[in-house]
Amino acid sequence: MRASTAAAATHERQGAPGWVVVLARELHDLWIGGRGLLLCLAFSILVSTIAYLAATNEALNFLEQREALNLVVQVGMIVGALLTLLAGADAISGERERGTLESLLVTPVSRRQLVAAKLLAALSLWLAAYAVLVPYAWFLARDLGVVGTTLAASFVVGTLLAACFAALGLVVSLLATSNRVSLSVSLFALLALLAPTQLPGGAKQGWFADALLHVNPATAGEHFVNRVIISASGWDQELGWLVSPLVATALLSAGALLLAGRMRLGGGTGG
Amino acid sequence: MRRLRTAMALLAAAAVLPPSAVAAPGLSASVDRTAISTQLGRSFEFHSTITNGGPDTARGLVAHLSVLSLREDPYVDPEDWAPQRVVFLDPIAPGGSRTLRWRMTAVNAGTFGVYVTVLAQDPRDRPAPNTPTVDLRVAQRRTLNSGGILPIALAVPGLLGALTVAVRLRRRE
Repeated sequence: MRASTAAAATHERQGAPGWVVVLARELHDLWIGGRGLLLCLAFSILVSTIAYLAATNEALNFLEQREALNLVVQVGMIVGALLTLLAGADAISGERERGTLESLLVTPVSRRQLVAAKLLAALSLWLAAYAVLVPYAWFLARDLGVVGTTLAASFVVGTLLAACFAALGLVVSLLATSNRVSLSVSLFALLALLAPTQLPGGAKQGWFADALLHVNPATAGEHFVNRVIISASGWDQELGWLVSPLVATALLSAGALLLAGRMRLGGGTGG
Repeated sequence: MRRLRTAMALLAAAAVLPPSAVAAPGLSASVDRTAISTQLGRSFEFHSTITNGGPDTARGLVAHLSVLSLREDPYVDPEDWAPQRVVFLDPIAPGGSRTLRWRMTAVNAGTFGVYVTVLAQDPRDRPAPNTPTVDLRVAQRRTLNSGGILPIALAVPGLLGALTVAVRLRRRE
């Protein structure tokens, strides 16, 4: 956010909403500055590797093509959400460590608008990752006749997870005293949320495991996409799995906006 | 004399051998089809029905799905074929029946036998009936598609790499 301060002040005087100006500058820094493109390049190399392995590896050859498609889509969604988490976790604590937060806070843009703009800028990483994912998903889904379903399910769930993790990163970034702490805690939270997806099938049975899968937005989103792509279930049958990603996104976004009003220059929040 | 010896030997054997696996009176198990043909990686299902034709309610029954290769190769790991292979049955009243749906995925090509065994939780009470064996034929199917995915796997990172370089060069100018 190098030029944001002056730009925000100028545009605020000209009548443009402050968050639009901040968002425009954030997007410019992210995409023209090069970091966003580099992240997308790394993302595309990862998805290419996974897609190629799923389509060509002898050991994976027994996979139903739906499972290969599901594997690629799930990796794309999770890594896309990881990108937004990192952007969110760096948003405030990173500005603070780079010494640019002070000048940003004195602009005539409310702190909630600043956080909202940073949340949307982080989400742009997911939208770009999704655009990268589309050709792979289209190729693997076209023979199965599930291109539309796959793209729609991965967009809905991926967007919810990306928004949820971006908001989580922002909350941690608002509370953390250093960028290192913010990134570490955010990554730990992501891994903790994803850990249940690695449990063997038998461990996911029973009311407690079922409740855990429903409450955890990561496992619920993963389960929804599994059911829609692999089991060819209808959306109406599986909509219950989208409740926790939706609620978590709403709660964490609201939490980030609430904490933004109490943001302090030295880290953490105050009254 | 020889017949008498043979009869004595049979009687002695019957005294020491465990009871043979004869189904409990009236309890029977059947399947809705005895042959299935599919392809590697495909999912399929069949139904088995356990019927209680006896005078008493059948309790404590456990249905178990088994799959085995009818050739020496390949090795079969049943867990890969069906995530749920055990069902604890509610009591079945006289004349009643219970139908179970078994969902499976063909993870090996070859010829296999699939059957359902009904066991009692207390094996002394109720010997086990088996369903007839389902003759399962799984045809090989190759899903390798390196020629198809490779252009996309190379083109997308290539385009993004070129875009990244172009943006960086433009910024320098």
